[in-house]
Amino acid sequence: MNSPDQPVRTEQMEIDASAKWPGLALFGSALFWLLLGGTLQLVAAIQLHTPAFLADCAWFTYGRIAPAAQNALVYGWGINAALGFGLWLMARLSATTLRHGGWLLVAINFWNMGVTLGVLGILGGYSTSFELLEMPRFVPLILLVSYAMMGVWAVTTFSIRNTENVFASQWYLFGAAFWFPWLYAIAQLMLLKAPVRGVLQPVVNAWFVHGLYGLWFVPVALAAVYYFLPKILGKPIANYYLAPLAFWWLVIGTALAGGSRLIGAPVPVWIPALGTVANFLLVVPVVIIGLNIFGTLSGRYSALAGSVTLRFILLSALAFIFASVLNLAFSFRDFVEIAQFTLLSELRDWVVLYACFSAAMFGAAYFILPRLTAGAWRFPALVKMHLGATLVGGALLTVALGVGGWQQGHLLNTSGVAFGEITQAMTFWFTLRTAGFAVLLFGHLAFVINFVGLLCPLGACGKKAPADLGQGSSAEGHA
Amino acid sequence: MKNGLKLFLGVFATLALSWVGLLLTAHQQIGRLSQFKDPVDETLYPQPLSGLAVQGSMVYQDLGCVSCHTQQVRREGFGADLGRKWGQRGSYARDYIRDEVVLIGQSRLGPDLRNAGNLELHPYADADYFYRLLYAPQSVAPGTNMPAHAFLFEVHALAGRQPSTHAIKVPGRFGPGPGYEVVPTNRAHSLVAYLQSLKDSYDYPIERSRNAAAEKPKEGGH
Repeated sequence: MNSPDQPVRTEQMEIDASAKWPGLALFGSALFWLLLGGTLQLVAAIQLHTPAFLADCAWFTYGRIAPAAQNALVYGWGINAALGFGLWLMARLSATTLRHGGWLLVAINFWNMGVTLGVLGILGGYSTSFELLEMPRFVPLILLVSYAMMGVWAVTTFSIRNTENVFASQWYLFGAAFWFPWLYAIAQLMLLKAPVRGVLQPVVNAWFVHGLYGLWFVPVALAAVYYFLPKILGKPIANYYLAPLAFWWLVIGTALAGGSRLIGAPVPVWIPALGTVANFLLVVPVVIIGLNIFGTLSGRYSALAGSVTLRFILLSALAFIFASVLNLAFSFRDFVEIAQFTLLSELRDWVVLYACFSAAMFGAAYFILPRLTAGAWRFPALVKMHLGATLVGGALLTVALGVGGWQQGHLLNTSGVAFGEITQAMTFWFTLRTAGFAVLLFGHLAFVINFVGLLCPLGACGKKAPADLGQGSSAEGHA
Repeated sequence: MKNGLKLFLGVFATLALSWVGLLLTAHQQIGRLSQFKDPVDETLYPQPLSGLAVQGSMVYQDLGCVSCHTQQVRREGFGADLGRKWGQRGSYARDYIRDEVVLIGQSRLGPDLRNAGNLELHPYADADYFYRLLYAPQSVAPGTNMPAHAFLFEVHALAGRQPSTHAIKVPGRFGPGPGYEVVPTNRAHSLVAYLQSLKDSYDYPIERSRNAAAEKPKEGGH
């Protein structure tokens, strides 16, 4: 870490100022979608144990509202938040300002317009029914063009960098910035514009879904972990020399692992077999990244008390390990035989999207937003509430999806149990799942209120230090 | 790593490798799978869907049925799909070439539907059964949490009118009450036609022999 000299601090303030409006627009829209997606998700969750809830209107039937919620969370919350964090971090690590932010605002508008049309399209009955590609056929073009206009900032900012070294977070961000549009464009092309035949469609879909989670959400989360750990602890990443190896191994392995979602499916057996092998090989980079993270943290857990960012980042890191373990478990035939098609497979994706990615973005937001606005979090109690809700809601969901899914799988594989009885047996877990989503939504609400408070600096509270106490501005430097 | 160009090439190669290795290779292998002509009855299998059923498959997509229903039967020895009468055999890749949009699904909040219209497996599953299932799921599937799709039906007052020939029979407490009839819309008609078309009853000799051989020694018969 650098010494806290004055020029560095001035430069950081310039970068923060240049990222202010794009950053606030991205985080603002991300939070809008987080609330909306969370609400839709809650409605869908209620319908699983109270099927009559909002069932009379085609717009709110489970089959539409569940994918609408997932799309709002992935494309509305996920991409906006990732870019809000990613562009800021890319500028910081490249020691250069975000230029021409006005154009970025135009692109953000178009992106959110696309997501709005997409979510409304799903609810209105224009869904394609391909997982995470449900948005109606005219939307992807809007999304791709506006993404190109946003993602290019990450690349140009990187290419005009004023730094000698390229840090781990930059590799992950740089890679993710390219992988998402490629994955998305190829999937759209092969499924909707010039559809491949037969079971190739599920293969393409699995490849896309696995890529979206593993080559977009995970890398962005890891970029946050690699950045904030050394930043807040004021010490370099442990065993950093292994990080490049882990990066390449992780992304190449993940890119090849998509077929592991198709174990037992009517596709050529080498497709799931390749995915399974890739998942086994992924143990190595996960161990290395674990060494990087927990080696850096070791002996410094006391710092957690002083920084809410650090606590969210630790949650994200633990979730990354957990997600990798789940992914590995889903490579064992005997496990898959039970867990496939149950709540457990929902858990696998939820851990990546929520516990790993979203937690990292919350941690990042608590650090970045006060710097963008040069303000402070007005309601520290709401910060605590948000963290608490994330932990409680996350635990409830992990139990509901994990234990419930396991029971569901066993019942499904017992042909003597009638299907109606399985549903009845699952009612408790469905209810617990609803409770989990409700608690998480409560946390999001607390976060949004705080965000609004940050934007409207009323009264004298604005003078307070950032809620992210324990690391004043002096501890900042280029990681 | 300091070189931006190397990083870019690596990033590009990563995805290109997986695209070529996974998608292109798979396409090369099964992209041209064709119908099979049975030597005895000289018919091509899988048989194409009727026009109404194709429309129904679009309703299936727009309602998001895939959120809760898979359409893939796992083979003997992997799960209890055959025991649950979801199929007479595991699904083959060839079964799906008749479908324009292939939705094998990833969640079994509801039962598998690949053979929903197979009367050998489910003798009760006639058109009336599906209409009632869609209008009032509890009336035919007690304990289910499937949402009612009443919006696929119209409820007419009978007063002074000729009853519709399409009206469905809904048991007492699930129906709209006396003096009313429940009539399926066109969307319901086509969706039910699609559900009734779902059956993979034909067993292809090539796949059957290949799978039988594969199950004996070890996995990986391809």
